[in-house]
Amino acid sequence: MDSRPGDATLLLAVAERDMGAFRTLYERHAGWLAIRLARRCNDRDLVADAVQDTFVVVWQRPRGFRGDGDVAAWLWGIAIRRLVSRLRTRGGVAAVFEDAGAAPAAEDQVLLSVEYGDIGQALGRLSPEMRAVIQAVVLDGLSAREAAQLLNVPVSSVKTRLYRAKAYLRAALAEGPS
Amino acid sequence: MTGWHLDDDMLRRYVGRADSLAEGASAEQHLLSCEPCRARVNAAVDVIDLAALWDRTRDAIEVPRPSGFERVLRAAGLPAHEARLVAVASAFRGVWLAGVAAVLAFAALAAAVGHARGVWLFLAVAPVVPCLVVASSYDPWMDPALEPELVTPYPALRLVLLRTIAVLALALPAVLLFGLVVPGETAFAWLLPAVGFVAVVLAASTWFSPLRSAIAVSCAWLAVVALLAARPGSPDAMLQGRAQAGFLALAAASFVIFLLRRRQLRQLRPWR
Repeated sequence: MDSRPGDATLLLAVAERDMGAFRTLYERHAGWLAIRLARRCNDRDLVADAVQDTFVVVWQRPRGFRGDGDVAAWLWGIAIRRLVSRLRTRGGVAAVFEDAGAAPAAEDQVLLSVEYGDIGQALGRLSPEMRAVIQAVVLDGLSAREAAQLLNVPVSSVKTRLYRAKAYLRAALAEGPS
Repeated sequence: MTGWHLDDDMLRRYVGRADSLAEGASAEQHLLSCEPCRARVNAAVDVIDLAALWDRTRDAIEVPRPSGFERVLRAAGLPAHEARLVAVASAFRGVWLAGVAAVLAFAALAAAVGHARGVWLFLAVAPVVPCLVVASSYDPWMDPALEPELVTPYPALRLVLLRTIAVLALALPAVLLFGLVVPGETAFAWLLPAVGFVAVVLAASTWFSPLRSAIAVSCAWLAVVALLAARPGSPDAMLQGRAQAGFLALAAASFVIFLLRRRQLRQLRPWR
């Protein structure tokens, strides 16, 4: 194992106002946070703002990380909510979801078991709107209200789409392998 | 650790957003707990300029956290961004206030020690302190911190008035406190001149920079006091009756001019 300090150790140093530790955290995490946020919002300025906000929060409240789980997961929780907040204050700038993964060619199918399983296929058949809701609520763990702000749709639409997506997936899985 | 990692193709699809929901979700879940894979994603970032963003982030955290005064303003019902705008003024920085307090204390002490010259000194200093502090509270030259705060157009009139009120709320009690040390009615006689000068500075700042206006007003007042002090008579005399009414009229007239010419407050437009 290498002797580099872990993220949790760096956070403790940041709490002691250690700019070097803060810089290291930024270098370790800003990139993938930006990439992941960019998958949810096409506006790069907003993504950059959200990443900046995230690290400002880290600087101001490094003790918000309570030592359970991965620092990366804690950072993501902050980042996605900062993005939602930025979207709300900008108003009208919607997070546009590209339908990038709509039809991967057969030879591009990844060697991921889930891809070959029923869930992968069932998810692939969801409409982009439903997938966006699944991603926001189920995978990113946002509340219905936060997801609605991220996707720029009414809260009721989020709930309806989530309900339908779940019903669809349940049915698809109950049918067995197609 | 499962021994499973993102392979190069997956990484490329993930960064290029060319993956499916299930694959993307798997990648994201894995990235949360796998530093080596995160490092590989970091190396592939093309969506934003991470170096430039670091500079911005560092600048952002170097903006001071809400001061006690700012929190008081927010508690008083001012929206957060306005509280920041008001409180960020140099006038509220400790050193500056301490300097003003020291000058006042010196003048009040001189007056308290007793002779007429000391009282004259207090009368010369006390009325001009509020207008100097107010001017410095919205002079861009004194307050470069104003610039990053004003990223959006902001009603200059509202900002100037908010800052003026905030400055007066801070400066007047301090000056009053020192005034209690000064014998006689002099202790309060300077209040109307002070208000008058603040209004003159506000009005003059629609033509000139606030700080220059305040310095000019202060010099004029010092000259008047010096002239009066050279003649025999009680220091209080000039600050009573007709003189006080005159200062009140000065304040009212200046404030009307300021309101009429508020669109000329050039200094407060955003800089970019």
